[in-house]
Order: sequence, then C-alpha cells, then structure tokens
Amino acid sequence: MRKRSLALVAAAAFGYAFLYLPLVIVVVYSFNDSRLNAEWVGFTLDWYRKLFADDDMLVAARNSLVIGVCASAVSTVLGTMAGFAMHRWKSRLLPLLVLMPIAIPEILVGVSLLIFFVLLNFTLGLVSVALAHIAFCIGFVAIVVRARMAGMDESLVEAARDCGATPWRAFRHVTLPLIMPGVIAGALMAFTLSIDDFVITFFTAGAGTVTLPLQIYSMIKIAVTPEVNAVSTLLMLTTLVLIVTASRLSPGLLRSQQEST
Amino acid sequence: MSNDAAAARGRRGKWLVSAPPILYLLVFFAAPTLIMAFASLRSPGEFGGLAPLRDEAGKLDINLDSYVRFFTEPVYFEVFVKSVLFAGATTLLCLLLAYPLASLIAKSPQRSRSLLLLLVILPFWSNFLIRIYAWMIILGPNAAFAHAVNGVLAWFGAEPVPLLISSFAVLVCLVYVHLPFMVLPLYANLEKHDPALLDAAQDLGANGWQRFWRITFPLSLPGVYAGAALVFIPALGIFAIPDLLGGPNDTLIGNLIKQQFLETRDWPFGSVLSIVLTVAALALAALAAWFGKRATRAPAIENA
Amino acid sequence: MNRIATFAALAAFTLAGAITAHAAGNQLHLYNWNNYIAPETIKRFEQSCSCEVVQTYYSDNEELLAKLAAGARGYDVMVPTSNAVDALIRGKQLMPLDKSKLRNLKNIDAAYLDTPFDPGNKYSVPYAMSTTIIGYNDVKMKALALPTDTWAVIFDPKYLAKVKGRVTVLDSANELFAAALKYLGYSANDVDPKHWDEAAAVIRKAKPYWAAFNASSYIKELTVGNIWLVHGYSNDIFQANLDAQAAKRPFHILQGMPKEGAVLAVDNMVLQAGAPRPDLGLKFINFMLEGRNSAELTNLIGSGNPNKDALQYIDPDIRKNPAIFPPKNVQAKLEQLKDLTVAQRRLRNKLWTEIKAR
Repeated sequence: MRKRSLALVAAAAFGYAFLYLPLVIVVVYSFNDSRLNAEWVGFTLDWYRKLFADDDMLVAARNSLVIGVCASAVSTVLGTMAGFAMHRWKSRLLPLLVLMPIAIPEILVGVSLLIFFVLLNFTLGLVSVALAHIAFCIGFVAIVVRARMAGMDESLVEAARDCGATPWRAFRHVTLPLIMPGVIAGALMAFTLSIDDFVITFFTAGAGTVTLPLQIYSMIKIAVTPEVNAVSTLLMLTTLVLIVTASRLSPGLLRSQQEST
Repeated sequence: MSNDAAAARGRRGKWLVSAPPILYLLVFFAAPTLIMAFASLRSPGEFGGLAPLRDEAGKLDINLDSYVRFFTEPVYFEVFVKSVLFAGATTLLCLLLAYPLASLIAKSPQRSRSLLLLLVILPFWSNFLIRIYAWMIILGPNAAFAHAVNGVLAWFGAEPVPLLISSFAVLVCLVYVHLPFMVLPLYANLEKHDPALLDAAQDLGANGWQRFWRITFPLSLPGVYAGAALVFIPALGIFAIPDLLGGPNDTLIGNLIKQQFLETRDWPFGSVLSIVLTVAALALAALAAWFGKRATRAPAIENA
Repeated sequence: MNRIATFAALAAFTLAGAITAHAAGNQLHLYNWNNYIAPETIKRFEQSCSCEVVQTYYSDNEELLAKLAAGARGYDVMVPTSNAVDALIRGKQLMPLDKSKLRNLKNIDAAYLDTPFDPGNKYSVPYAMSTTIIGYNDVKMKALALPTDTWAVIFDPKYLAKVKGRVTVLDSANELFAAALKYLGYSANDVDPKHWDEAAAVIRKAKPYWAAFNASSYIKELTVGNIWLVHGYSNDIFQANLDAQAAKRPFHILQGMPKEGAVLAVDNMVLQAGAPRPDLGLKFINFMLEGRNSAELTNLIGSGNPNKDALQYIDPDIRKNPAIFPPKNVQAKLEQLKDLTVAQRRLRNKLWTEIKAR
C-alpha cells in the first residue's frame, strides 16, 4: 500500500492555492462597493442587482456559453479523430495542420478569417465565431488525445478485433473508454479557450454579436467594474452546476473505465 | 477475411477518421491563413489593409520589403529572443507547478478525480481580465505580498522593487494563465500509469525519488511534451499580459504583431512577424517531439 | 447510450438558446466606444423611433479600422475619431450624410465644422471631444513642488527624478510622439524625420523614470494613489477624480493643460457605406445633435462638447472646468492629429519599437 507522500500533497496544495488566490479575490470583489477593481471599499450587492438589469451583459454571457458548448463539443469530436489518426497512422500532415492554429498569432488568424468570411459572403454572427473557435480548439484536443494514446496497450484492441469486433466497435468499447480522460481533458480545455477568447472573436463577430470577452474588453479603457466580477462568478457557478448535473444524469461520464485484465 | 480486404478496410478507416478534421482545418484555417501569408508579400494600403494587387500601371504588387525589414533591423530579433526566454521560463515553471497537481489528481480515488480536475480548471471560466486585475491587487504595493518582499529587501539594504508593473508580474501571470494547459495533458498521461510498477520497484528497494525519476517521469514524458507544447507555443505569441502588467521594457513579439495590425496598419509586416513566429514555434515543437520520441523509445525500467 | 443522450440533451438545450437570437426588426446597429453614450439617451431614442439600438463596442480606433479594412459590414452608425474618419473617407468606407435629415446640425459650433479632412461635413458630424493632457494627484504634486501645466513634468529628468516610478504615459506612439513634439515646440502633426528623432531622444531620456506605458489601467492606479502623474485623456482623469472622491481619498485628481498645447480628439458620428438602416442612422444622428441629448454624455463622463445648444444643459461645474472647456487662448494651441502615410507609419513604428524594446 503506497503512502501518499506529504511532500506531494503539500506541493499540490500550493498549486491549488496559487490557482485559487486570484479567484477568491474575484469573487470577494464582486461585492466591492467601488467602481474600480483596485481596493476594497465596502460590501454591497449592487453589482449583482446591476447585472440582472443589464441585458447586454446577460446576452453576452449566454452567447459565450452557447458558443463554448458547441465549439468544445465539435472540436472534441474532430480533435479526438485527429489525435487518434495522428497516433495510429503517424500522419505527417495532421500534426502540422493541427498545431498551426495554436502557433499562429491570434490577430493574424482573426483578420484572415474575417477576410475569408467576407470573401465567401458568409454572414458574420454567432456561427462564424463558433466556426473560428472550433478551428483553434481542435489542436488542443488532438495533442492531449495523442499523448494519452501514446503507450496505450494495443493488445487490448487487437484482442477485441480477434474476437470479431468491427473497428468502430473496437474503438467505441475498448479504445474510447481508455482514452476518455484525455478526451475529457481536451474538451475542458476547448471550452475554457472558447469562453475566454477575445481577439479572434472580435474579428469574426457580426455587427450585433456580443460575447462576454468582447463586452468586457471594451470596458478596459474605462473601468472593468465589479459587475464583471459578478458575471464571472455566476458563469463559473452555472458551468459547474451544468457539469455536475450532467455527470449525475450519466454516471461514469467523467470517469475512465480501466478494463481490468 | 482476406488480407487485401482487410488492408482496404484499413485504408478506408484511415481516411474516414482523418478526413473530417483535415477538411475542417483546411477550409476554416489553412485557406484563410494562406491569404494572410500571401499578404506578407504585398504592400500596406494607404489607409489600412493591403494595397491593391495591381497598381494603376497594372503591375503586380509583390515584394519582399517586409521580409527585408525584419532581417535587417536587429531590434525585431532582440524582441523575439526575449519572447522565447519568457515562454521558456513560463513552460518550466508551469511544469514544476503542474506536476504535483496532476500527480495528486491521478492518484486520487476514482470518485474525487473528476472533482479535483474540475477544480483545477474552474478558475479559468472567469474572465481573463478579471483574473489579471485580481493579480494586480495581490501584487499591488498596498498588499501583503509586496510589503513582505520589500521588507526582506529593505533588510538587505536594497531599494524596494515595483512588483506590479514588472517582468516578475508578467511571468507570474503567464504561468498562472497557462497552468491548466500543463495540468490537463499531464493528468491524462499520469492517470494511466500502473501502480503495480511502482509497488514492484518499492519491493525491490527503490526509494521515492528513484521511483519517480526512473519510472514515473520517463513514462510521463509524452504528457510532459504535450503540456510543454500547449504552453510554450501560445505563450510565445501572447500580448495581453505584457500590455497590462509589463514595465516599459517588457515588449514581446506578440505586442509587436498587435501593433502592426492595430496601430501601424502594416499588415504585410505583421504577417511577416507572424510567419517567423509560427515557423520558430513549430520548429521548436518538432525538436521537442523528436527528443520525446527518443526518450519514450528507451525503456525506462530496463536497467532499474 | 446514456452518455450520448446526455450530450444530445445538452446540445439541444444550448442550441435552443442560440436560436432565440435577435428577431430581425427595427434595429439600429451602433458601433461605439464603451460608456460613450448615456443609457437614458439610448432609451429615449428607442422610444422616439420605436426601434431597438443594438450596441457593440470597440476600445480603440485602430480596432474599428482593422475590422472594416478586412471587410466587416452590418454597422449603421460608428463613432471614429477625426484621424480615423480621414482614413475611412479616403478608403471609401463611409456613406454621405443626407443633410436634409440633419436639421439640428446648426447646433454645432462652427469652429468644429468644415474640417480639412471632411470639408462641408459630407460624411461626419462632431459628437464629443477629449484632450490628451496631464493628470495628477494634487496633494503629491504640491508636496513635491512640481509644475502641472507643462509637458516638462513628464519629459524633463530634473522633474521626473522626484516622481520616479510614479508616472505613466499612454501606450500609444501617436499620442506620446505628439506630446514630445509639442514639448519641443513643434506641431503635433510635424512629419520631419529629424524632429521625430529629437522626440524619440526625449522619450528615451525620460523612459527610465516612467513606471509603465499604459492605456488601460492607469486610471485605477491614479485613483488608488499608486501613481501620481499621468499622461492621459481628459475624460479618464475626470472619471478618476469622481472615483477618488467616491472612495473618500485624501486627495483630488486634477487635470493639467500643458501650456505648450495638446492633442484634441474629436469623435464624429458617421454612417458606414452599405449600412442596413441609414434612415434610422440619420434619425439617431439628428437626435444626438439636440442639445439635451448631447449634454447627457458630457454630464456623465466629462467629455468636451462641440454643441452650442448643449451648453445650457451641462453641469455648471463641468462647464467651468478649463480642461474640458478650454478658453480661447488654449484652444488655439490644441491640435487634432492627422493620419500618417504608409512610409511615415512605418518609420514611426520603427522608432517606437526601438524605444520600447531597448
């Protein structure tokens, strides 16, 4: 029985503390009685009141959530396929194609996508933003899935095929459960990237499209008020609730199934 | 099942799986990017954008001016080197912080794993700006941290340093913003490590450090390289953090590129800088992948 | 199967949210700076025209220009600054205004009409103004006995030594060069490369004393008291003072108009070429040319106002503020920035990169 080393727990605890210290400030300052996110002045619920009266901000938050879920869903599927293909068939084209959106500066990607959409006479709106997000999220999912598959025990898959399973069934019942933590990790990253993206969204959004980052960044030169803290806190809570609910509805959704031999 | 049929099935399967992502990326990424890559050979438009492809005389406006400019002015290369250093430091620090986190989560009982993982990524569903502003409060001159640091410095007789607008703040926030992209790939890899290996090693007399260094770490290398790629490459091109927290000297290549598009309206030059950045990032990633292949090929437990 | 069902349910739920998007109708698309129009004004306009105003925002002229240069469409009214209007007119991105629908245009002070870049106001109408000046913490500056009416306090090391690490300047090549050129006695629109080199030298000498090049969070730092002296926009400095008073700080944030002159930024209402609803756009512009509506913005953020009819509705305190409504002798020294040519922009960027990277 291995004991969890104290050093490991301490180091991990420090990691969590590092992650959560700013978050605590974000949440606490959503109750700050000052327009500026600079110093604690006093307690107030005004910003939450303001948020619920602020249609623009709420619509922006909803749009961000919608685009986030759609983009992460599609990019997870495409990214898993890409990661699988990169591992299985050692393609040369795919790794390049998949890494480039991550490597190329967002401004360039944003401007070029806008030019491209205009050339195609494609109406800019939520859909154009989602399409753009999917493009750069695929890479993140693919890289993680491929890393997860590296060193995977191929004999299990071969055993399934020997038992008469089609490639799809072998994938669905053997490979997929084994790589599920990688797929989930990729999906989480894709969602995170999508709901916080500013530059690419700025260029590919239509004349009436607002997402949360667009709304918030436009406040940068005036003041990013605690209303933004409030909407961030609520968004985090909402997403957490959605995910916990989904995992309750379908237990094992987030767990990997380790096949015991 | 004959061999030919099986092979044909295999090829069809390969295309079935590879085609959708390839097609998607070719249409929604490669095509647009080629447009802008081509822009690096054009001239900037008088009022913005690009100059017309054919000028009044009907001559094709293709030139290498922007490339020449990049390679003949040393200042751009200096900024580039600085960015590589920042991105490298960020990757290293992320690795050091992420490894214990990912290990802990991977070793946790099945039920808590998802929750712990979610806890890692939850802060990043708040808006980026707000998190940076929170760091500005934490590192601000009125906060406890600054007092502590400057107190220590004063003890040594040194002048107080500005923590808030400095390379230090930029680095802290770079690490913070990229941390989950190192934790998640590492976790995905560490999660599948067989505890039996480590038990066996312990039975054979290996201590904690040896178990880690000779078994765990080598097996986790694919995860390490995946995480490093997903941190280093984006960190190379980032501009928002130096903009908000950087001192007067902390201009990185991302800032320069942003300036070309959003200040100077020099799209061709911005395109050149982006191409150089991309090529460098991909080259470094390829290098890392090559090292990674060599490392994972060597069996880690052979000579334990 | 369970998993797939869950995903499908989630997807359907969110798609439903997406489909209940804007019902197309009477909509005016306004592309504006954030917080650059009072919410009450928008509401009154929506009532008067029975339409909906859909607002999207940008935080920099160059963002607007980049997006339009790449081909974005769908906006009706936009609010660019004069040099951006210049670029947009010459790039043929604007729709000429139908003056017959703009009866309130006579309210605008003639001094702001008929500009060199838009003679006869064919495409643009002045909206609001700001100046780029000095903002300072009055208690600190008095204690250090520093002048607050000259650019020297930002550029001259003999003054800067007293406030080292407590000064920020705007992160904008155009604004900083303009200030340096004014300090040296040249015009802000001077394009002589030798003068630019002099300005770059001045900036480089002063740079070690500056805390940061900052265009976004400097108001915060000024209000909190970490920064004592800024090169910034008059609206921002006005707002910083309001915030400081609201937080009961022991100092005021005051605006200092440098005697060498400063940059005046006039923001204008324009119609995008190919705008979906130019009729609503013209209605909106005419509405904003009414004194009462125009004054609401000034009262909200302390912006300058080119509308003669608005003066009666403006807060007396704001009306008296010489940084917001400068007297005639100062007005003579204010300059609007002109757009630069490609070669000039490249040179400026090269100088700017060298300043920032070394």
